[in-house]
Amino acid sequence: MTAMASLAREALRRQQAFAAADEAALDGLISVRPPAGQPRPEPVWDDARVLEHTNVGQRYRRLVLATGTIARTALAGQFLMITVPPTGGERILLPRPMAIHRRHPDAGTVEVIYGVAGRGTIALADVAVGGSLLVTGPLGRGFEIPSDARTALLIGRGVGVCAIMASVEDAAARGVDATVVLSGRTRFDLIGVTDCAELGAAVIPVTDDDGSSSIPALGERLRAEFRDNPPAVILVCGAGVLARLAAELGAEWGVPVQVSLEAHMACGLGYCHGCAAPVATDPEVEGPLVCVDGPVFDAALPVSSL
Amino acid sequence: MTSAPPQHPTDARAAFFAARPTRSATVDLSVRIGSLTLANPVMPASGCFGPALGRLIPVAELGAVVTKTVFGTPRGGNAAHRLTEIRAGMVNSVGIPSRGAAGFLAELHPRYRELGVPVIISVGGHRPAEYAPVVRDLDGAGDAYELNVSCPNLDRLGTDIGSDPDAILAVVRAARQATDKPLIVKLPVLASSIADCALAAQEAGADAVCVANSIPALPLQPDTRSPALGNVIGGLSGPSIRPIVLRLVWLAARAVEIPVIACGGIETAEDALDYFAVGARAVQVGTASFGRPFAMVEIVRALQERCADDEVAGIRDLIDLWRAQ
Ligand SMILES: Cc1cc2nc3c(=O)[nH]c(=O)nc-3n(C[C@H](O)[C@H](O)[C@H](O)COP(=O)(O)OP(=O)(O)OC[C@H]3O[C@@H](n4cnc5c(N)ncnc54)[C@H](O)[C@@H]3O)c2cc1C
Ligand SMILES: Cc1cc2nc3c(=O)[nH]c(=O)nc-3n(C[C@H](O)[C@H](O)[C@H](O)COP(=O)(O)O)c2cc1C
Ligand code: FES
Repeated sequence: MTAMASLAREALRRQQAFAAADEAALDGLISVRPPAGQPRPEPVWDDARVLEHTNVGQRYRRLVLATGTIARTALAGQFLMITVPPTGGERILLPRPMAIHRRHPDAGTVEVIYGVAGRGTIALADVAVGGSLLVTGPLGRGFEIPSDARTALLIGRGVGVCAIMASVEDAAARGVDATVVLSGRTRFDLIGVTDCAELGAAVIPVTDDDGSSSIPALGERLRAEFRDNPPAVILVCGAGVLARLAAELGAEWGVPVQVSLEAHMACGLGYCHGCAAPVATDPEVEGPLVCVDGPVFDAALPVSSL
Repeated sequence: MTSAPPQHPTDARAAFFAARPTRSATVDLSVRIGSLTLANPVMPASGCFGPALGRLIPVAELGAVVTKTVFGTPRGGNAAHRLTEIRAGMVNSVGIPSRGAAGFLAELHPRYRELGVPVIISVGGHRPAEYAPVVRDLDGAGDAYELNVSCPNLDRLGTDIGSDPDAILAVVRAARQATDKPLIVKLPVLASSIADCALAAQEAGADAVCVANSIPALPLQPDTRSPALGNVIGGLSGPSIRPIVLRLVWLAARAVEIPVIACGGIETAEDALDYFAVGARAVQVGTASFGRPFAMVEIVRALQERCADDEVAGIRDLIDLWRAQ
């Protein structure tokens, strides 16, 4: 566990640095999406059997959970609240929000991939195959590929890839041409390569170690790639700076951008008011909540910067 | 809505809805709060419940529900992050966003009414004079009112209204004029004397006191040791506060005749029985519902089972039985 713990410390430090940069990048970008075209599925809670629990690369863990109702009803970009069972003397009180990475309605399973970040995910990493996890979901407002879209650009970084993968499933099912940017520290850390291959989506892998994931490099590459034929929609998750880049591209190409955000959560259902979204509002009016108004929001550059 | 048949009888939630209590016939868990009789003594803590939970648990099995605190005028709430978890507790600085009394009546109240249990409306104010007008505006909407004189995590540092017996007298006297419905006064943990505060509430005409709110705390982020909350200070809740609140409930229950409703770190029926043993007549469950949404209903069912197992009519008899042994 010590190796895992030191990895976790490093992950935590990086996450905190990212969080500060993210907040600045998201400034003025976010607004609540208009009402969805279809009703949201009714959330349930379930004792989901853990069918698989494996390492993904060096830094992530993948769970396959048997939970038929959620597998059949979840919409792309929705999430679960996972209650972490007590392990090794550690008790975790608050459930942890995790994106539904893949839905397998026929098998009645969903996949979740998570990074080991702090107390909760360290304890979650100990959960044994054959045991069960209390999960609540599907929750939140997900991504929507507009019904007339024939192409889509999806951008995910780190575990943020998990929030967009179910939209890659949707794209495959609807015959939408999906191009997926998978961003990570190294090629070995990229999540979603095999998923995209299975779903027939084109992948643009970018990493920190060769500089290809830097915002200027990625921006240049996407502008070149889509110069003559911009995608009909951009879906993004995983970093505020990527959301800002997506919003810039969206403005240049005249296409809508949706971004999935994170917040610290307790209930996931909209009643604890813990998950304030980073949207500046009148101090007398409560701003949107990430768990029910999001996690997916519209992202557009503030009018002043256009 | 709460008893809607499960859509897919394959998940654990559906099984939980279907598991009707079987042995409750001989057991009477009812409790009186002034003129209001609750079918059992279990209810959510303010801020830790919403009508959305009606889709996840059979809310009709609870004694009552309690709303998030409603202020007279709209409030935005605090900056992110609004909550964080520490060992054995969580700290929140939500800051009580509120749509105001009018917004509550228009948007939330109808959804509470669908739940099929008594609705206790929590009322807040920034100064003593602000409470009674809100109670008056809401009169008719609630089956009882809980005066939250204790929220410790609003941004103004200094004393809470509820730590000062004179302020409690003023708040409760004015609210008493505003409604005939039962009044509960929710006291803070850091009252100079919980007994004096509870007595002030009783003297001014309250029908019950709720002990207690969360405890002011300052959580730091691991490693950087910078504040974890946007508001720096928040309120600690969860299992770590249970022994602290247990003492306060014991002190309050010895001081007053009106019922004491215990609130602090209750996760199981065993925790609830601890509070009943020191004099509480009802319990509120907060933090536990986040990790286990069904915790409150499980407590009701376990209390029924427990009384049935011991062949007693209710919780008081159970406690008498322990005392006699
Ligand atoms: C809608 C949503 C979907 C998510 N999907 C995924 C996913 O698919 N895979 C994945 O690995 N992670 C996902 N996350 C983030 C994940 O919830 C957090 O990493 C996790 O809660 C950290 O818990 P911890 O106990 O390990 O860390 P803590 O010890 O609680 O904290 C470690 C670090 O994580 C931060 N953190 C804590 N809770 C959250 C949170 N809820 N959201 C963001 N940061 C947090 C803290 O500020 C701290 O810097 C998602 C978050 C949201 C809101
Ligand atoms: C997220 C959150 C929001 C809360 N909001 C309120 C509130 O609006 N009014 C109030 O009186 N108490 C509020 N509380 C305090 C709880 O009602 C309760 O007193 C406290 O959490 C202790 O109980 P617990 O340990 O069972 O959680 C809140 C607590 C939490 C965790
Ligand atoms: S997590 Fe409770 S309101 Fe969003």
